[in-house]
Amino acid sequence: MPSLPKSNVPEERGEQEQSFKRRSRRLRNWFGIQRTLRLGGLFLIWFVVITFFVDVVAAGNGLTLSKQPRDTLAVPRWLYLATGGATIGASALLASFVTDRAFITYLHTWRRSLRTPETWWHPVTWVGRGVGIVTLVLSVYLGYAGPQLPTASFTILVTFAGIRAALPIVAYSVGNVWPALNPWRAIAAVLPSGFLEYPNTLQRWPAVGAILTLVWVEVIFPVSTVPTVLATAILLYSTITIAGAILFGPASWFENADPLSVMFRLYGAVSPLQRQNGVLQVKLPGSELRNADVVTDVSDVAFIIALIWELTYSGFITTTAGATTIKTLVGITSLGIVNMDTRAILVYTLLFICGYAVFLGAYWYASRVSRRSTGTYITARTIAFQFAAPLLAIAAGYHFAHYVGLFASLSPALVMALISPLSPPANPLILSPPSWFEGVGIASVLIGHLLAIWAAHAAAYNLFSSRLVAIRSQYPFVAVMIGYTVISLWILSLPGAIPPYLS
Amino acid sequence: MSEIQTTVPRNETPEDRCEYCGNPFPTSDRLVLHKGLKHLQQLDDEEEEAFLAARSEEADELRTLRLKALGALVLLYFGFLMLYAIFA
Repeated sequence: MPSLPKSNVPEERGEQEQSFKRRSRRLRNWFGIQRTLRLGGLFLIWFVVITFFVDVVAAGNGLTLSKQPRDTLAVPRWLYLATGGATIGASALLASFVTDRAFITYLHTWRRSLRTPETWWHPVTWVGRGVGIVTLVLSVYLGYAGPQLPTASFTILVTFAGIRAALPIVAYSVGNVWPALNPWRAIAAVLPSGFLEYPNTLQRWPAVGAILTLVWVEVIFPVSTVPTVLATAILLYSTITIAGAILFGPASWFENADPLSVMFRLYGAVSPLQRQNGVLQVKLPGSELRNADVVTDVSDVAFIIALIWELTYSGFITTTAGATTIKTLVGITSLGIVNMDTRAILVYTLLFICGYAVFLGAYWYASRVSRRSTGTYITARTIAFQFAAPLLAIAAGYHFAHYVGLFASLSPALVMALISPLSPPANPLILSPPSWFEGVGIASVLIGHLLAIWAAHAAAYNLFSSRLVAIRSQYPFVAVMIGYTVISLWILSLPGAIPPYLS
Repeated sequence: MSEIQTTVPRNETPEDRCEYCGNPFPTSDRLVLHKGLKHLQQLDDEEEEAFLAARSEEADELRTLRLKALGALVLLYFGFLMLYAIFA
């Protein structure tokens, strides 16, 4: 009947409408079948998930609470790692029990709009950016003229305890505040700009290159210990950023090429506070990760993997195992270079690039396997895009695990530096985090992965019409996530060391 | 929302294409499920019946999958119980 050509007879139209209403009612009933029963079942499942998870975390805390060195754990390290991996696997199995599309959509579209006057945005942004500019100028000036003790230096405290540790934590746990602070954007906004069109084919690749370069500079140069070096790096970064923003226009530059803006935007996708079409909304944490808008290009995938890899890498080289690996590699590879330090820099760089390639390759391979094993006609590229955003929850978990201790110990010094930047204390207060902080690290790695598992489950349901295919498509990604978890839990369990050759 | 891109491998011929959006599907079940989820408003009675039938068939398979997942969880649980009993 509905396939008949359009008719202008009112009776027929009425009949059509009625039949349509009847049908949609039937389908609505069908979707709502045993809703309460399902919700009850879901409660039970999540109860089990949480109990299982809390058990594992408690075990994790038990492992690390002891005052003895971690090498003499009561539980062998492989068992601790296997338990971490199994937690992820088990939660993926449990997530596969949730097959109610309506419920998944409900969780991921739940939102409460906050009433914020639109007129506030402008003043708030400009005050924030003003603070940003003052901080930038002070950072450069005090880097050269201020105290050279790292823990008393305004430049180092703001850069590492502030932008490297605290702001990403704010971005993924509350909301992305970077656009309201970005001093370079504020400077570029008042200058004439937009002389060239940003090449669309480049997408976010400049940002990928830039974030990898920033991390490389952080490892190789003493930016975190010598304020003058850091101030020079900030000057260089500012020059490139402002030049780029003037050339291509601030909007496209900070959207695509600026590593900090892209990083904060992506971390912000995990947070519960989102701003859409000028309206501030509260959502469930991580519910935005199902959204196909977050990742739209291969370069976005490359950026997200870069975030995971840089945290893994900088964690690894500051452990005894990392130091031994570097020393061994420098010892056995001569590369025709006599100078040990140059050789070490080469080894650090190669390890950084190769490891990144392995991480990216593993992820891309997973998307190909996912496509092949499910026999779908959806391209591996599209699958890779859909499953990349959930990895941001993993990156957030790693970041928290690696930086919350640093932030906690430097926070009094940071507060002092921000209150009185021009009269730094001679002996800044540095806290030493209690031993249970290591448990916080393990817990945040696991929470990040659990959130990622759930987001991947929801993303699969978004992509595939068949629920069976949606479940099966996740297996390769779950394997990759287990791999990432085991590696990062291993790094967290190793004793710390100073990276060799880089004094 | 970015587009979902599809390609058909060279040595395969798609079972059918969705008449509303043109996406190819390897099996007719998946096509029926796709139409029911994405083009619900446009379906006629027959297609709707097919969709409901495919849904309930899928639900049966999901039940089997859940049982398997439960089995895997039980194995995992007891496996780790044993490991902890021996090594910890």
